[in-house]
Amino acid sequence: MEYVLQTHDLSKRYKGRLVLDKVNITIHKGDIYGFIGENGSGKTTLIRLITGLISANGGDFALFETPNTSPAISQARKRVGAIVETPSIYLNMSALENLKMQSLLLGCTNQERIKEVLADVGLSELYNEPKKAGNFSLGMRQRLGIAMALLGSPDFIILDEPMNGLDPAGIVEIRELILKLNREQNITFLISSHILTELSLLANTYGIISKGKILKEISAEDLKKECQKWAVIEVDDKQKLFQILREEIPVESLAPAANGVKIYGNISLNAVLNKVIQAGIEILSVNCYSSSIEDYYLSIVGGHHA
Amino acid sequence: MRNLLKTDLKRILKDKLFLILCIIGGVFALFNPLVYKLLFSALDLEETATEMGAALNVSAKNLFFSAFIPGDNFGLILPIFLSIILCKDFSYGTVRNKIICGKTRTNIFLSTFLSCAIVMCGVILAHALVTLLFSLLFFPYQPTPFHAKDFLYLLESVALEILVYLFIAAFLAFLSVFMKNMGLTIVMYVAVAFLCALIGGILSISLMFVTNQTAYSVLEFLTKSNVFLGTVIGQGTAYAWRDLLYVILPAVIGCVGFIGLGILVFKKKDLK
Repeated sequence: MEYVLQTHDLSKRYKGRLVLDKVNITIHKGDIYGFIGENGSGKTTLIRLITGLISANGGDFALFETPNTSPAISQARKRVGAIVETPSIYLNMSALENLKMQSLLLGCTNQERIKEVLADVGLSELYNEPKKAGNFSLGMRQRLGIAMALLGSPDFIILDEPMNGLDPAGIVEIRELILKLNREQNITFLISSHILTELSLLANTYGIISKGKILKEISAEDLKKECQKWAVIEVDDKQKLFQILREEIPVESLAPAANGVKIYGNISLNAVLNKVIQAGIEILSVNCYSSSIEDYYLSIVGGHHA
Repeated sequence: MRNLLKTDLKRILKDKLFLILCIIGGVFALFNPLVYKLLFSALDLEETATEMGAALNVSAKNLFFSAFIPGDNFGLILPIFLSIILCKDFSYGTVRNKIICGKTRTNIFLSTFLSCAIVMCGVILAHALVTLLFSLLFFPYQPTPFHAKDFLYLLESVALEILVYLFIAAFLAFLSVFMKNMGLTIVMYVAVAFLCALIGGILSISLMFVTNQTAYSVLEFLTKSNVFLGTVIGQGTAYAWRDLLYVILPAVIGCVGFIGLGILVFKKKDLK
């Protein structure tokens, strides 16, 4: 399968402190790769390495199958659009001027593209607006930054905390834009975020990083399996309950609880409770739970947290 | 590279500070000749202005060349304003856009240097020419009649001044990538310019008292090769090869050196 980014034992030290420790990730074409990690885990450092803002102390990576040590990496980078931490915009220029500067830099002559990207990020009204970017809200700057990243029609877009500063409507708009670009143009995304539930609405692959180490790479499908639902039924006769349930439900979906049983998976509780009532067992309580992406993340990172 | 240079030039020319810089340049171009003129009027030397000008070594030619001096008046303001504009690329983080879209660090530095050099040379030339035009309203070009060889000397001098400003542009571009900070770049530039001008001034005075030939030659070289002092260019009617060497050698070595150093430093710098 064609890959867009592959890192191999990528390491980075800052003033003697190891901030990235032999990181290996693979992003395939068409992926929306969600990059999850706590503050200072090394997400932005990895993004900076990939975009060429900093150099690695060890390991290497390939962008569009071009090794970072090859002079052709500059050509590969032309296919990348990115926002690293904060949008890089001229605060003394308007949105249109900023986009014109970016298109000049990219050698892009199509002025219609500026209108397109402004519309894509919901800033069409800024096309003729002389207001300087320095007076924009954080959300507007973020959108303008995304518009600048989109301007060169890149094949791979890296967004570092793209939802920062956006209002709820803005978050939905940007999410829909990312999904649209991925679906219609097969653009690959690497998105780092703290908002895990937001990422879970976008990503089809996740990379979990903590203290500079990649702890897990997991597909959305596998993650869904990991983030199970379960119910806890508490009764007066735990042994009898277990016996009845074993006849109805696969053993791997059952686990003992304090005064009852835990039932995992998408199992009809109605049917189970009917059986229990028919068996004359008194139900003390029924509680339903589900583990979220946050729970999964914490279960992975748990041992690595300070 | 062409796209980078176009972007950098546009960025500088569109900055409000550039407009302010041009206005200051115009004001200074008017200010110097006018001050001398007013001084002469106040001293009631109006009728003998030409003679007095010659006696005080004030001529349009001198005012024209003094407009170029890098450690003085507009010559000092120009690099300060340009360093502010150059460093905005780091303070706004827009230099990241250039790297992310695949421009090499060598090209980014060269484009910074070239755009700075083009704007710097353009502005200082315009400022000096306006100074010359205003000066000619009040003073003669020079005490002696103007000949063809004077025009050649003028062209030679302007070429040397451009060389000096190429050196300053390389120094500024180096400082901006080395410091990545507006304030520090300005402080460093002003400190170096003042220090060089001060040391140069002291050395040029000490030249009058030195009798030893070797010491004199060393001091003469140090004084004349000091780009911030401008003691050689436009001070005579023709250049001796030694004087040319005193100006060209340090400017070329400095320019090439700072470009090389700037590329080296920028390639190794981590950008946040």
